[in-house]
Amino acid sequence: MTFTDILNAVAAWAVSDYIRGALLAFPLLESAHVVFLTLVFGTILIVDLRLLGVASINRTFGALESDIIKWTWFAFAGAVLTGALMFITNPTVYFENVPFRIKMILLLCAGLNMLIFEQFTRRKYKDFEGTAAAPRPARIAAVLSLVLWTGVIGAGRVIGFTTSHVAVALPPAAENLDFDDFLTSDAPAPAPAQ
Amino acid sequence: MKNFSEWISTTFLSLFIQNNQAWMIPTIQSVHIVGISVVIGSILMVALRVLRLGWMDQSLAAVQSRFFPWLKGAIIALAVTGALLLVAEPARELMSFSFWAKMALIVIGLGIATAFVSTVGRNEAVWDDNRLKQGSIKLATVLTLCVWVGVIFMGRLIAYDHVWGSLSPSNHSEPK
Repeated sequence: MTFTDILNAVAAWAVSDYIRGALLAFPLLESAHVVFLTLVFGTILIVDLRLLGVASINRTFGALESDIIKWTWFAFAGAVLTGALMFITNPTVYFENVPFRIKMILLLCAGLNMLIFEQFTRRKYKDFEGTAAAPRPARIAAVLSLVLWTGVIGAGRVIGFTTSHVAVALPPAAENLDFDDFLTSDAPAPAPAQ
Repeated sequence: MKNFSEWISTTFLSLFIQNNQAWMIPTIQSVHIVGISVVIGSILMVALRVLRLGWMDQSLAAVQSRFFPWLKGAIIALAVTGALLLVAEPARELMSFSFWAKMALIVIGLGIATAFVSTVGRNEAVWDDNRLKQGSIKLATVLTLCVWVGVIFMGRLIAYDHVWGSLSPSNHSEPK
């Protein structure tokens, strides 16, 4: 079973078929996806601005993060769920789509950046909680975070311009068609095949 | 509205964006989305403080003064990027039900924010924790969040305005 077989099997699920065909499902899923992703970016922005010493500097980083991180995760889960439900409507098209692949790579990088920050940087510099701007590695992580997540938003937007969730069937090729005839004669073009 | 849309699409700015739309429109939209993130993030943080779910080491006035300047800046950025998108594709917005519903919700949302700022600003001592525990305040806070979520939904539905059926003045149905 190839990966393409798996993607095609997913495309054939009843839920995939429903979302593909229903009037409201995909538009509402996409709208919910925007709500969740803006919450992800918005909450991450607050945390990153704190690390850079730009805003919320009257709070320790720990206090700020513990207030916010649950919302970031909640929103991220929502974004992944709505994203998956959109993906399954046309798996092969989305999987092949270059902006989609870029977005997935950027997401991985953003996740890795967060992991490194939490597991290494934050532990090494336990004392920075009270200062305005965090130590340099933390500030680098913050800038990387903002760049990567902005990239995710941009790539995500381009997916919308380069794909469709509607599987479009191409019209069958006409038989015995010589396109040069259209250049030299006044004969009308044949009607498109239904 | 149709004639007005057609006129806008003949202006220099509109033609400029139209001629570069492949990269310009996704870029302007992406900036618009970042602006939305600042708005929804700011509204959420103040709401969390009002609902006493976070920021309890700060006074409500302090949380409001932390976030509302960013909210104001983001609204301006959203208005500018939104105007550019409208100028580029006037009929897409002006001839859609979703766009006008979105504008109405924005007016309501900004009205609530303004009222909140003026009451908290004038009566900081009055907005102590007892006041915040009132059911009506909690309800109003949840409603505000719903209004802004509604703005986001209406914004995305501009590209799918056909879902409104006979309410939609246009035949636009290309998802973008």
